[in-house]
Amino acid sequence: MTTTAVRDNSNIRLFGLFMIKRLVQAAVVIAIVSVIVFLLLQALPGGPARGILGQAATPAQIEAFNHEMGFDLPLIQQYFNYVSQWLTGNLGRSFVMNEDVSSLIAQRLPKTLILAIAAVGGALLVSIPLGMAQALRRNKPFDYIITGINFVVYSTPSFFLGLLLIMFFAQLLGILPASAPQGNTVGEILAQPKEMVLPALTSGLAGVATFSRYMRSSTIDNLHEDYVRTARAKGTAMKRVVARHVLRNSLTPVVTMLGYYLPVMFGGALVVEQLFNYPGMGLLFWNAAQTTDFPVLLGCILVISLATVIGSLLADITQFILDPRSRGGVK
Amino acid sequence: MAFDQRRMKKSVTAGLAALALLLTGCGGANSNTNSATDGDSDAAAKTVPAGVDTNTVNYALPPNATPNWILPIGVAGKMATHNSSIHQALWSPMFTFDGSKGEMAMDTETGIADKVEYSEDGKQVTFHMRHMHWSDGEPITTRDVEFWFNLIKANKEQWGGYKEGRLPDNITDVEYTDEKTFTVTFDKVYNQDWLNSGQLASVRPLPHHAWAKTSQDGKVGDADRTEKGAKEIFKFLMKESENISDYVDNPLWKVVSGPFTLGGFDNSGKVTLEKNENYDGKDAAQVQTVNLLPFTSADAEVNLLRSKGIDYGYIPTSLLNQQQQFQANNYNMDPWEGWAITYMPYNFNNPKMGDVFKQLYVRQALQSSVDQSTISEKVWMGGANPVYGPVPQDIESHYLSDTQKNNPYPYDIEKAKQLFADHGWKAGSDGILVCESAGAGDSDCGEGIKEGTKMELTMMVQNGSEEADKQFAAIQSSLREAGVAVSFDRAPLNSVLNRTVPCEADSSDCNWQFSYFGAAGSWYFPAYPTGERIFATGASVNFGNYSNPKADELMTKALESNDPQIMQDYSALLAEDLPVMWLPNPVYQVSVIRDGMTGTTQDPTGNFFPQRWGWNK
Repeated sequence: MTTTAVRDNSNIRLFGLFMIKRLVQAAVVIAIVSVIVFLLLQALPGGPARGILGQAATPAQIEAFNHEMGFDLPLIQQYFNYVSQWLTGNLGRSFVMNEDVSSLIAQRLPKTLILAIAAVGGALLVSIPLGMAQALRRNKPFDYIITGINFVVYSTPSFFLGLLLIMFFAQLLGILPASAPQGNTVGEILAQPKEMVLPALTSGLAGVATFSRYMRSSTIDNLHEDYVRTARAKGTAMKRVVARHVLRNSLTPVVTMLGYYLPVMFGGALVVEQLFNYPGMGLLFWNAAQTTDFPVLLGCILVISLATVIGSLLADITQFILDPRSRGGVK
Repeated sequence: MAFDQRRMKKSVTAGLAALALLLTGCGGANSNTNSATDGDSDAAAKTVPAGVDTNTVNYALPPNATPNWILPIGVAGKMATHNSSIHQALWSPMFTFDGSKGEMAMDTETGIADKVEYSEDGKQVTFHMRHMHWSDGEPITTRDVEFWFNLIKANKEQWGGYKEGRLPDNITDVEYTDEKTFTVTFDKVYNQDWLNSGQLASVRPLPHHAWAKTSQDGKVGDADRTEKGAKEIFKFLMKESENISDYVDNPLWKVVSGPFTLGGFDNSGKVTLEKNENYDGKDAAQVQTVNLLPFTSADAEVNLLRSKGIDYGYIPTSLLNQQQQFQANNYNMDPWEGWAITYMPYNFNNPKMGDVFKQLYVRQALQSSVDQSTISEKVWMGGANPVYGPVPQDIESHYLSDTQKNNPYPYDIEKAKQLFADHGWKAGSDGILVCESAGAGDSDCGEGIKEGTKMELTMMVQNGSEEADKQFAAIQSSLREAGVAVSFDRAPLNSVLNRTVPCEADSSDCNWQFSYFGAAGSWYFPAYPTGERIFATGASVNFGNYSNPKADELMTKALESNDPQIMQDYSALLAEDLPVMWLPNPVYQVSVIRDGMTGTTQDPTGNFFPQRWGWNK
């Protein structure tokens, strides 16, 4: 077997071990998070019954409710009931919303993801070239101006930013709607692209500031690498060096960061959802917390935990693939 | 009755109709002959702006108020007015009792009853039904009424409107004379206002020919005439009601008797009502389509309102100073005053302060330290009205005693200080009152109060309302002036409600002292505002365990006698005895209505009537 073949086999084995280790870790993390959240919810004073049924509920109605929802069982039994349901894909039922939790998440999650993808996708399209341009014009007026704008955008609360955008584009100019797409299916939402502009801008502008800073730093680091000096010495045009080599290598930290951004995407953007009348995961979680809707809270936590673990895993895998130094294998 | 919570502010719009209360206790149908536009906001007199679709009305539901229950038998937790208003639009009750036409009265035009007659002894009520049909052409008969009674009787524990001893427990017989006439016999004489508004208004014919089965493909029969059969049918209907995404296509919900059919009911909360072309009652829809629009926040709703995307919406009180801007956009403001009171219960069983609260002079001193008029004017910007007793005061009624109306405890810090001083309380070096004379004598602190007890109170207050926060800052300041220290325990509304429970002194959940859940009114009444559910000894919503035998006696009599003096005596007694701390009562919402819209008289009990909404033609 050649050295290359040996090296490749070793890397595959390493990758396999790496994946197994991370999957086991993921399962343990999700289990621990679910226990912690479950116990914290039980610690809420008073229990959920009166808040859900209303102040006029009689003790008999409260008792019936607690019995129907299983809240009168011992805690351990309640927890294991939840876990055994989860394993069969049953996330329970929301008495408040009168729907299965899995249905609620199935309705809200796609909406949240569409908004997140629109926001993050738009942010990347702008921030990657912007960051590179800043790096190539480092410490020049262009760089300073963009940095200043980024700081202002980053420090502006998203609620205020959203209101400004609505006031200007929707109310003053009347060229964009004030509400997000009001459809219920992915198709209906995608059929209203104009309605997605302001929510995506509100959500994505801070991302432009963040990603472009990372891109700028990463590009500056790569511009000082030996391979750039070598390529230039061989007569390769700077544009070609940047486009073919620097760009790819500079993307590593940004792509890795995207993995850690996954749970944020799944968790929803409460402020944007409230402002643009776009009921997504953020609002689902918030309203469930306000009404102590335990099944929804637990369901959302489970989804976000999974997203966190998967996101972290994807980030590590990306790094493993893109950066040989992280493999620790045969050279 | 529970209502959705929002921040409100009262408008001082001219033309607000004062609502007067009429008694209809003398039997017979009492259909209100006022025209649908009487009491409408100023909007009704104006021209419809260009570009408005006059076949449709878009109505903004309160923030996060998501309709979530289609079955017109409410269950606990699903009794919100947006649910019941939708039920009413689809399935007409026998009658309603509300202020939707400008006066609180029985309204048979909304319903299936043509006439309602009381017997001479007052124990029997005979209903004469109109000749109306279900949307599938079948006639509405007494069999449909019997179906409703059977379901309620067999499943009363699950019915959200049930209270022990009340409907159906207090009915001894229901006789179905013919297909259009039935007579209900009660176990004793009851006050007719209470009976009409609080009991009989619940009666609603249900389509027996379509619903009396236990599966979609099951056979319709008379199983509801047995308890077992009625339970099984109810269980089936409940199960069908748990599938919101199926509401529009489910054949059960297509059979209606009301002015509308269900055009849409989606998971986000948007409900579309379409005019029922087969409706043959007296309250037909004025437009083809009504859209009930859900909103994630008041800000989202206001944004759409400013963009002119709503016909009938609302604004928070903080925007009242922009009234002209909305008027320039062809909208009118019309505050929606509620038939409600707002208060903070004292926990008379609190281990630390319960005995202190039991002293009337303490409650008098505390009440005298709350400047309701100033708070209503400055904090709520006129969007709330002072409340001095158990009867709603926003609207004139003959239930309101002069004692309550004139405020037995006007704001007077000096009086508060004197009351404490006369009973052995003295300010310490920190200015907080301390009991220096334990004992039950006239000049002592009172029975059970130990020497050294400090007048330090903790108020559990719902968060999320700017006006409520400012209100309590003002109350804290004025109480401090009187020598009473106040700290706050702020929590979301549901958490506050969860923790505000009737309790015994030695139980772990009895550590609350005061509880505020009234940012949009603490308690909304049906038209006859008896307080037996909130002030009677042992009542489930008497959170603080207030007990006054005289009050109990009056509340019992108020339900069983038609003597109007009883309610007046009750109003005066509780205004003086202070079972709770009375606080300003916020309006239900500040409505913003597009010019030219008609039929928008706002019912103080909080229901809305989409069939009345129309456009000036």
